Amino acid sequence: MRIFSLLSLFLLTGCNLRVLNPKSDTADKITNLIYLSFGLMMLVFVVVMILFVHFLKKYKETPERLNEIPGDGKESKRLEVTWTVLPILLLAVLAVPTVKATYDMTSQVSGDGGEAKAEDAITIDVVGRQYNWEFTYENGKKSVNELVLPVNQKADFKLTSEDVIHSFWVPKLSGKIDVLPGEETRLSFTPREAGVYQGKCAEFCGAEHTQMRFETKVVSQAEFQQWLKNGVEEEGE
Amino acid sequence: MKQTSDVLFQDKKMGFFLYLIVEAIMFAVLFATYIIFTPASQGPDPSEVYKWKTVVLTSVFLLSSSGTLLIAEKGLEKGNRTKIAAGLIATFVLGAIFMVLEIHEFYKYVHEGYSITVNNFLSSFYVLVGLHASHVAFGLGWMILLMVQFKQKIPQRLFIEKHKIFNYYWHFVDAIWVLIILIVYVPYLF
Amino acid sequence: MNVPFVGQVPSDIVVSWIASALIGLFVLWWLTKYNKWPVIWEYIRTTHHRKIGTMYILVAIIFFIRGGMDALFIRTQLAVPENDFWVFQSQKYNEVFTTHGTVMIFFVAMPLLIGLMNVAVPLQIGANDLAFPYLNAVSFWLFVAGGFIFNMAFFFNAAPNAGWTAYAPLSTDTFTTGPNNNYYIFGLQVSGLGTILTAINMIVTIFRLRAPGMKLNHMPLFPWATLLTSFLILIAFPVLTIALLLLTFDRYYGTSFFIGEMGDPVYWQHLFWIFGHPEVYILILPAFGIFSDIISTFSRKKVYGYTSMVIAIAIIGLLGFMVWAHHMFTVGLGPLANSVFAITTMLIAVPTGIKIFNWLFTMRNGVVRIRTPMLFALGFIPTFVIGGVTGVMLAVAAADYQYHDSYFVVAHFHYTMIGGTILGAFAGIYYWYPKMTGKVLDEKLGRWHFWLFLIGFHLTFMPQHFAGLNGMPRRVYTYSWEDGIFLLNFISTVGAFLMGASMLFVAWNLYKTHRLTDPVGGDPWDGRTLEWSVGSPSPEHPFEPVNQVDRLDAFWHAKVKGEEVPKAEDARPSPIAVKTLQPVILSIILVFMSIGFIYHWISLQVLGGAAVIAYLIIRSITDERKEVYEKEEEG
Repeated sequence: MRIFSLLSLFLLTGCNLRVLNPKSDTADKITNLIYLSFGLMMLVFVVVMILFVHFLKKYKETPERLNEIPGDGKESKRLEVTWTVLPILLLAVLAVPTVKATYDMTSQVSGDGGEAKAEDAITIDVVGRQYNWEFTYENGKKSVNELVLPVNQKADFKLTSEDVIHSFWVPKLSGKIDVLPGEETRLSFTPREAGVYQGKCAEFCGAEHTQMRFETKVVSQAEFQQWLKNGVEEEGE
Repeated sequence: MKQTSDVLFQDKKMGFFLYLIVEAIMFAVLFATYIIFTPASQGPDPSEVYKWKTVVLTSVFLLSSSGTLLIAEKGLEKGNRTKIAAGLIATFVLGAIFMVLEIHEFYKYVHEGYSITVNNFLSSFYVLVGLHASHVAFGLGWMILLMVQFKQKIPQRLFIEKHKIFNYYWHFVDAIWVLIILIVYVPYLF
Repeated sequence: MNVPFVGQVPSDIVVSWIASALIGLFVLWWLTKYNKWPVIWEYIRTTHHRKIGTMYILVAIIFFIRGGMDALFIRTQLAVPENDFWVFQSQKYNEVFTTHGTVMIFFVAMPLLIGLMNVAVPLQIGANDLAFPYLNAVSFWLFVAGGFIFNMAFFFNAAPNAGWTAYAPLSTDTFTTGPNNNYYIFGLQVSGLGTILTAINMIVTIFRLRAPGMKLNHMPLFPWATLLTSFLILIAFPVLTIALLLLTFDRYYGTSFFIGEMGDPVYWQHLFWIFGHPEVYILILPAFGIFSDIISTFSRKKVYGYTSMVIAIAIIGLLGFMVWAHHMFTVGLGPLANSVFAITTMLIAVPTGIKIFNWLFTMRNGVVRIRTPMLFALGFIPTFVIGGVTGVMLAVAAADYQYHDSYFVVAHFHYTMIGGTILGAFAGIYYWYPKMTGKVLDEKLGRWHFWLFLIGFHLTFMPQHFAGLNGMPRRVYTYSWEDGIFLLNFISTVGAFLMGASMLFVAWNLYKTHRLTDPVGGDPWDGRTLEWSVGSPSPEHPFEPVNQVDRLDAFWHAKVKGEEVPKAEDARPSPIAVKTLQPVILSIILVFMSIGFIYHWISLQVLGGAAVIAYLIIRSITDERKEVYEKEEEG
């Protein structure tokens, strides 16, 4: 019954869930990990449920067994070893890609300061503050609550906060990275599809945390260059 | 039937030791805080603040108070009331002198401009050493109460029990002071 | 800073004042009419473990109602997109989720479990009371004082608003001015001290007051869980105490441990989670113990894999201290730290899995009787497994970059905390209710409660996984139509009200049971452990003389043979019970002293401090041991 309700929920929302419908290289990797871990874990869940239902059916008290006193029996070493070792193996299967992905992604995310950045990446300085986001591009262009990115080009973010802790999150494009006062964190990803994506603050940051959203527009290279110039000209005027 | 007072004392002793573990963890966190924030990126350095004379002087008084307390413990074992009284009074006096020196040290630091808000080194110093000092102060009050109870007519075993629990406390506070010397002062003095 | 006067007081507070006043008057009238004052007088002076345990549970239920109402406000506000329900937006909403979280963790889950420990543990190990009955009363009244302080905040329009995690720098006075988070600090300090003292009491009780012959591995699993939980409390709570102390200095005395150029906000997170992660095991392990005892009793079998059950609890407890940074994967601690903490976190699944399989195999070959306590235990297994597997999914550090601080996490921890702790507490309450009151709760209403609660629970929290995956961050007070999470949230709200409705059946059940049913004997469930060998409700000092125990489930085996549990010849003396008002007075002093701190009234602080010292002196002078030792010396 529970599995049924789970499935029907899936149908209701379809595969439109933002996190499961990624539009960047980094987010792709995460989504794959989510599916892998979900699959492995469903395996565990199903095994437990089968045993649970089976035992419950078979050993439920019946009128004939009202006064029966079952023996305590001895534990089976084999069984105990099985359910200790199998989960360890299962976790090992999960741990290897976890560590790999964590290293892949985190070296980009927090960046040890090493300038291993790709030649063609654009760098954007992000400042989070109660309650808006300010993005500064390499040519000095600033924009608030609107992040414009060129498609298929890597974007490197350097993030910091002016007040409390925030967290930068574009569910379709990447995982979160916290935005801390007095410190710089890093994040990077390459969007692979043009479109408009929601961005949010994911770390509770005060009264209007809810409203601390931004819009991410992934556009073609030409449109991006145009947009980039526009801003600076306006400021120049 | 086992002797009630003995069994109940063992209960209490175990409970009190567990409480001292709690205290030890609290101090451990404060030591960690001190180590993380010292020396601070700005403001005064510990080496310009600490004076080795003060540290030696306070240590001499506090550590020797653990010794004098041993006299009281001996008296407790042998039922020698003079020794108990002498030991307690000596411990109290030494502890009180430590307290005066400690207050004087804080007072002097603040006067020299090294107050708690100046930088994080000083903040963690004051919280850690201040918490220890408040333990000493509490112990002094405890000793007064103990001496009153010594004078009063309470069952001997009850007095022994209360005295012993106090002894554990005082030795613990002393042990923390040794750690303070080693972790807080020594690295920046010598 | 001052206590606000009427004027700009939000209407929910006005309503609460009026409602509380009316309920208060009603209670006073009821107490007088039915002449219950002597009972109150008896209970506030008691040091008896069963009475204190009962009071823990009663007070926890009062706070449960408060936390539950907060939950319903949250769900109502989130029922539809762009909603404006009553006052619950912006800062008001932040206050509601902060109090919901804090109240549920510290003033509901903890006291429910500690209450059950109080009721059951001494009886299960054949002890006549906890090792320090007086201290136990102090612990209880400290908890009441802490809960009172924390809940008072709302009535003075100053509910804490930095989340139950109180992340710095938001929780420092730079960003949350006003007394709000001062209430948080002092509420938790006072109740935390009570919890630490309880842990000490439990450890000494279990180590030193077991029935003669009862080795540690003859104990039922609930005392085992209690013992190991108490050690976790002993290590974890002092860390919280110091973290709060440092925060106090930041908020009161101008230091900057967690803020500014020199301070480090991440240090708060480390300290908080070094406490906070063991804390969730503190909440779950006793529930595991309760389920073990119940599943064994209602399968009429010894628990399967007793030794591995104990080892599993110990390993979970141990690993519990090595996983705190999985709450901080997105802080940027670097890939090495994230990988290590990911793996240690995953490892916890192994001992937990062992426990699940052992429970299942306890039922195998047994005779599984389904009564309300067992029903809750059965509901727990699949529910908790869901919470467990999402836990492993969250442990995948890289994937956590997506889940972190989203509704996926909200769903996960409610699956573990409600699916584990709360179902465990319910199971325990139904199970030991006869030991507390002498009556068994109504079976049919119990089933209604169970099914409504469980269905409501899954309706509420299952959709939240998907809301999280669709990009809903936690702690937001509204969302838009474009977010595409309306339906998920709406179902969630319906489920929450179903859970709320299920609690009405509890109220009905209590009423019905006490008006219409007869008392039961000492052993209504055909139990296995020593608590069922004494009367219901359990009398004071029930084991006189104490039992001689030489195996697990000694009562069961004696019962099967048609014998009584043998009595011990040379038993240790029992702890001394007293009647005293001192713990209540201490808790009143601490409430006033805390108010002094919360509103920076220095004279009240000093007065409170002096009163505490006076209390300690009086306590020492009026020590109940005096009389006992005097008699001993005379004799």
